Amino acid sequence: MSPFGQSLARVWAVALNTFREAMRNRVLAVLLLFAVGLMAFSLVLGELSLHEEVRVIKDLGLAGISFVGILIALFLGVNLLSKELDRKTVFFVIPKPLHRWEFLLGKFVGLAVTLALLTGLMAVVLAIFVVSNGGTHGVAMLRAEILVLLELLLLTTVAMLFSSFSSPYLSAMFTGALWIIGRNTPELSAFAGGKLDGSPLGTLLGVIASAVPDFHLFYISGGNLEGNIVSIHEGFVSWAYVAQAAGYAGLYGAACLLLAVALFARRDFT
Amino acid sequence: MSILEVQDLRKTFTRGFSRRKTEAVRGISFSVEPGQIFGFLGPNGAGKTTTIKILMGLIFPTAGRVSVLGAPAGDRAAKARLGYLPENPYFYDYLSAPELLDMVGRIHGLDRGARRKRVGELIERVGLEHAGKRPLRSFSKGMLQRCGLAQALVGDPELVVLDEPMSGLDPLGRKEVRDLILELRDRGKTVFFCTHILADASMLCDRVSFIVRGELKDTGPLGELLSPKVHSVDVVWRAPSQDADAVRTALRERAGEHETTSEGEVLRTTDPDAAQDFVRAVVERGGSIVSVHPHRQSLEELFVSEANADADPDQARTDDKGGRDVA
Repeated sequence: MSPFGQSLARVWAVALNTFREAMRNRVLAVLLLFAVGLMAFSLVLGELSLHEEVRVIKDLGLAGISFVGILIALFLGVNLLSKELDRKTVFFVIPKPLHRWEFLLGKFVGLAVTLALLTGLMAVVLAIFVVSNGGTHGVAMLRAEILVLLELLLLTTVAMLFSSFSSPYLSAMFTGALWIIGRNTPELSAFAGGKLDGSPLGTLLGVIASAVPDFHLFYISGGNLEGNIVSIHEGFVSWAYVAQAAGYAGLYGAACLLLAVALFARRDFT
Repeated sequence: MSILEVQDLRKTFTRGFSRRKTEAVRGISFSVEPGQIFGFLGPNGAGKTTTIKILMGLIFPTAGRVSVLGAPAGDRAAKARLGYLPENPYFYDYLSAPELLDMVGRIHGLDRGARRKRVGELIERVGLEHAGKRPLRSFSKGMLQRCGLAQALVGDPELVVLDEPMSGLDPLGRKEVRDLILELRDRGKTVFFCTHILADASMLCDRVSFIVRGELKDTGPLGELLSPKVHSVDVVWRAPSQDADAVRTALRERAGEHETTSEGEVLRTTDPDAAQDFVRAVVERGGSIVSVHPHRQSLEELFVSEANADADPDQARTDDKGGRDVA
């Protein structure tokens, strides 16, 4: 096997273990049940609407996938490294023949596989609800679900960055705060470019809006994109937009991971 | 070439907002040659685990040089040739023992067939067949320790580093670990282990180092470090069935400490010649000798003397994690 293949095998060994850990975590099962419960609740709400059952199920279902996904990514992401330190498993794994960056990358890959599987599972359940109510899942929903997954992966890299140097509580606070700010970047930019334009506060808001991860990019349904209302029911974003968002998540996520690797590489495990 | 080489190694931790510095390791140097069982001894908080963590690439030294299997500490290729059992091992408790060993096998680059074979062999070697697919969280401390030993051996290492390997094991388990360590040496492996259980160290080690408060006090073969001088001799004897009281009274008048135990009468004397004369007298009077036991300096006595030699009340205070506070 080539050195690259050997390195991949080591990353995969860590990823597989991370995936196993997540799959055997009961909190995850509870959150997953919560998501399905939310989708089931959308059936009840749908009944209350005037012949808009499918619309309600899609909106609430997608929101459920995103909300539960964010909780899972946040919960697993901030615990990914700190749990290794708290439980001292890092003393067992770091002396094994792998680089520290391979360990970190393996943890990320394992969590990414977990999130992809869970998002896929929730999407299938949502599709069943939609179809059983006479609707069609459609390509727009698929694009929306892929965007949700991209958001979760980006959030995971941010959580990993914080957890590479701080406690799980602080990491959760920092990551959660960044997510809230990141979901509201259009509002921040509007403030910065509106009444506050030219003022120090406006400049500061502008810098923050461009520096924080733009999570709004990934949850676009119901929002405004270049003057047009975007909705999963009609006029949703194109594949080109999804590819652009994937590129953004890839670059921003890679930067977070590289920074986490740099911090992790010089860390003392006492 | 030495398997392990440590030169003027220092580690200072900085803790808390006050940036208080604690010197855990203060300029130690030693080397370990291939095929040896090397005991790294010292009381709790002496700096043993800190030194091992530096050797394993878990923490970085403040100063000094460390070479493990000819490479700097933490080198991936060198780590492939060593096995490590951490102190109080914590593993992924949601895995079963075969799953944990399989994961380590993957990291070592073993293919599926080799992993399956190696995992089976090691599970059997450490006596964990009965554990089956139970998760590690349900294991006793002794079972975890066995599992820890197995994972350290997955890569068939040249150097095995064991941090308190007997910890948590019952007498049978300790004997099995001792046998395993000796077997590893017989197979040409080098074993570096730290312990404060001196009975194990004296039974196993070819060479030892004493570390006290972060400083190395002595290094060398056990036989050279321990004084060969006889400190005292115990003679256990029994009086003859006839005139027992008279013989007992007469012999008890001889120089030395006398006492009666369940094994018989005991004479303890610091003079080996007096012991020899006493044995002759017992036999001449029709008594019998149960045993003659000369006492030499034990590892424990050496350990205590090394630790006490450093116990200066004027020295800087130490914190709960060991080491010495510095300004």
